[in-house]
Amino acid sequence: MNPGDRVRVERADQTYEGVLLPSTTAENLVVKLESGYNVGVDRDAASVEVLEADTYDVEGAQDAEGESAIEFDDDLPTISLISTGGTIASTVDYRTGAVTAQFDAEDVLRAVPDLAGRANYRGRVVANILSENMTPEVWQELARAVRDEIEAGADGVVVMHGTDTMQFTASALAFMLDTPVPIVFTGSQRSADRPSSDNVMNAVCAVEAAKSDCAEVLVCMHADEADERCALHRGTRVRKNHTSRRDAFETVGTKPLGEVDYESEEITFRREYAERGEADLALHDGLATDVSLVKFTPGTDPAMLETAANGAAGVVIEGTGLGHVNTDWIDTVEAVTDAGTTVVMTSQCLAGRVCDRVYDTGRDLLDAGVIEGEDMLPGTAKVKLMWVLENAEDPARAMREPLAGEIQAQSRPWT
Amino acid sequence: MTDADAFDYEELGLVAGLEIHQQLDTETKLFCACPTEIREPEESTRRFTRYLHPTKSELGEIDEAALEESQVEREFEYLAYDTTCLVEEDDEPPHRVDEEALATSLEIAQLLDMQVVDQVNVMRKIVVDGSNTTGFQRSMMVANDGRIETSEGPVGIEDMLLEEESCQRVEETDSGVRFSLDRLGIPLVEIGTKPDIRSPEQAKEAAKRIGMLLRSTGHVKRGLGTIRQDVNVSIADGARIEMKGVQSLDDIDDLVRNEVRRQVELVDIADELAERDAAVGEPQDVTDVFEDTDSGVIGGALSSGGVVQAVLLEGFDGLVGREIQPDRRLGTEFSDHAKRHGAGGIFHTDELPAYGVTEAEVDSLREAVGAGPADAVAIVADDPETAELAIEAVAERAETAMDGVPEETRDANEDGTSRYLRPLPGAARMYPETDVPPVEPDPEEVETPELLTEKVERYVEEHGLGEGVAEQVAYGRRWELFEAAVETGVDANLAARTVESDVTELRRDDVPVENLTDDHFLGVFDLLADDEVAKEGVPDLLTALAENPELSAAEAAQQEDLGSAAEDEVREAVVEVVERNADQVEDEGMQAFSGLMGECMGALRGQADGDLVSEVLREEIQKRA
Repeated sequence: MNPGDRVRVERADQTYEGVLLPSTTAENLVVKLESGYNVGVDRDAASVEVLEADTYDVEGAQDAEGESAIEFDDDLPTISLISTGGTIASTVDYRTGAVTAQFDAEDVLRAVPDLAGRANYRGRVVANILSENMTPEVWQELARAVRDEIEAGADGVVVMHGTDTMQFTASALAFMLDTPVPIVFTGSQRSADRPSSDNVMNAVCAVEAAKSDCAEVLVCMHADEADERCALHRGTRVRKNHTSRRDAFETVGTKPLGEVDYESEEITFRREYAERGEADLALHDGLATDVSLVKFTPGTDPAMLETAANGAAGVVIEGTGLGHVNTDWIDTVEAVTDAGTTVVMTSQCLAGRVCDRVYDTGRDLLDAGVIEGEDMLPGTAKVKLMWVLENAEDPARAMREPLAGEIQAQSRPWT
Repeated sequence: MTDADAFDYEELGLVAGLEIHQQLDTETKLFCACPTEIREPEESTRRFTRYLHPTKSELGEIDEAALEESQVEREFEYLAYDTTCLVEEDDEPPHRVDEEALATSLEIAQLLDMQVVDQVNVMRKIVVDGSNTTGFQRSMMVANDGRIETSEGPVGIEDMLLEEESCQRVEETDSGVRFSLDRLGIPLVEIGTKPDIRSPEQAKEAAKRIGMLLRSTGHVKRGLGTIRQDVNVSIADGARIEMKGVQSLDDIDDLVRNEVRRQVELVDIADELAERDAAVGEPQDVTDVFEDTDSGVIGGALSSGGVVQAVLLEGFDGLVGREIQPDRRLGTEFSDHAKRHGAGGIFHTDELPAYGVTEAEVDSLREAVGAGPADAVAIVADDPETAELAIEAVAERAETAMDGVPEETRDANEDGTSRYLRPLPGAARMYPETDVPPVEPDPEEVETPELLTEKVERYVEEHGLGEGVAEQVAYGRRWELFEAAVETGVDANLAARTVESDVTELRRDDVPVENLTDDHFLGVFDLLADDEVAKEGVPDLLTALAENPELSAAEAAQQEDLGSAAEDEVREAVVEVVERNADQVEDEGMQAFSGLMGECMGALRGQADGDLVSEVLREEIQKRA
């Protein structure tokens, strides 16, 4: 008896006939009935007869039939689609019942036919992981792949990425790459296996953004709950601010850089941006991987900082308010910086600038060697510190200067 | 045309089944904590638009019904309320299956004598017409294999599904359809019978029986749209038809009769077409024929850049116009398919010349497509893309007419006929809802509710209600209040009258009885039980409460001065009336009683017990007579 077999299951007076499914567990046989409904039958109480073996290829059910015929059109720009996994390119794993990434970039074209005719596509798979499993090593691999794609003639790059850690990867690429073309991250908040998935509009808008004149690392996701517009966020200023909404991504501290209208395909920008062709392609993919982000909340023991800093190159603290921790922490902070660890202060307020010159605690922190992280998002500051420690001559100074749009020189009200 | 009443259903091999959809009256929705409350579109607080795209099932198939639906690219607009949340908007994963809804479904399973499954698996049933924001309806099979009794024999129950109600369709917009999120997610049970029904009358009886069983739980919604019946019908030479959205039980037998007739006619047409060696030609553009037309429909389409597409139907002459249901022809079926693809409808030669199309135009049309006298021609005038899709759909439907009855889903019309809706959905539209873990229900925990029929009997036997009144109370919304009243010592007939006929009469008098709460009624019964209000004062008291719902029953009784008048007050009022009419009493004696009784009650403004008043009045008349 195997998944895909047509079976007859008898249990008490009840007979169920259908296809045995892979979601069967030790306790329950799961049978797909003629009507399409699945029912679970208590395995111990049931007797099973296999009527016909392998009536369905359950494993291969999601595989596409044949190759997608992609024709090259000289009049269209070339966009490289890079897949790293995640919901936009995922389908349901019917063994575990969970949603997993199974598509490569070619499959995305098949899955999102609306992409056809907008560009010539190059497909590439860098990883096939859920974004919570992303690592700095994969960021580096991705950065190299993007460089290769641009060198090979891509006029823009779309990176399909799980939404959970998209902002970290986007930040990493923003620091590692000088790019003459747009690098646009996109994903989806509703998996691609459902008719209402946001993957179609996000992918279409991301391709349009990748064809645009804005040669920056962007995140392209729903601007609101409707299928009308995608927002274009700077990779270093964006944050996933909701667990499930389509418009979970928000630019913190200002309005999104731009927008793509789904129907008209029109792209508009609110501020200046790095233009296509301005920068020469360059990759600086060194990263110090021993950098931690430590969040201070009332009652957190300074030992937490000690453990995080223990001989490490850098620590970003997510402090309170203007950039504070309990005064009991200050001696530890001083010991940590004395030992050679770079310590950067950010704020759990997320919006607004760190200023450790207003209250005594702040001044004491500065004396203890803390670097003010300006208005950087804590997550972005961590990625930047990883990069800065390997690539900047004066990391302390670099942390306080904008390198990839992560710091805004002026704080302007935006709401 | 055949006479529907003359059919021998057994000989025709009529097989029918029912699908009953009943909304449950639960506190919260099936997959979120929102109330199961229906709102007015004007009350919506937000709106947004979405698109849907079809996907594959876990067996790798795309459903035909879903595919046809998706070929019409449409934008859907949704109205959100302060009573809906992100789950309805498909912006938050569903919560776990609502326990109250599951428990109610288990009660229903018991009443229908069904076997509850060991493990309930939540499925996604693909529906991309926009009525679900997700593009699917969440549905789970809870029980199988039950039965109900009818006077024509038992009818098996195939299965019972617990599912989420879809969005209410508000209206068509320029770019698509507008839906309302209030209804989405209300728990719904779908009960499917086995194809055991053999006559239109049995179909109606089975539907009524199931409806009664559902209402016996006391946990189902009431009122228009809260119960819908689908009827599946086939005859031996016909095909299985699913008829959707029958709102009234009383229409079921007519629908079955009309569908049988449709199938008989279609089989007959197919036989005739076979004899005539019929064939369907390739669609072609005949715009030239109508260049100077006076037909408003065609002219209108052409002037806005449209075309006229035609299809030659060889051997169809006279059959396209043949009536197959009251006022519906084979041509109407063709037209339904054309409409489904966005066209306004079709014209065919069996009805032309008409609608501004001249005889000369018909002749050139016939000539253009090479139609002979035995042939028919159907045309569609619309924008080029719609016209092409629509004429293809007409040609396809004409092809199937040669085979007899096509399997399909139809929509019930109000007049007992039906129209084409979409292809029959298949198993391929089902795939697992991975966001909701399976549930293992425990049917042991459920108590069997008393059937409404049993309740009626009990009210007659135990409380001495008449059959009609007992039925009114048991099938009504307030039987629980009635039982509470009897419990507190209120006379059963008085309690029954209070919860049913009094309310009905007050409603007729435009009293806002919808404001009356359970607490109002319970308060009224307490006053009655303690003799603080006379039974004659009940309507006035209910009126006062309906108009001032913030009052308690006691407060309303006081405000309206409805306290039960003691015997002294009654005698005082009666004596006054009798003395005022002393002459009449002297002349007529007891004959004056009925006239004076009314006057006395008027004087006491309904505050006194009628029996008491009549007793005192008799005494006072006797004294003087």
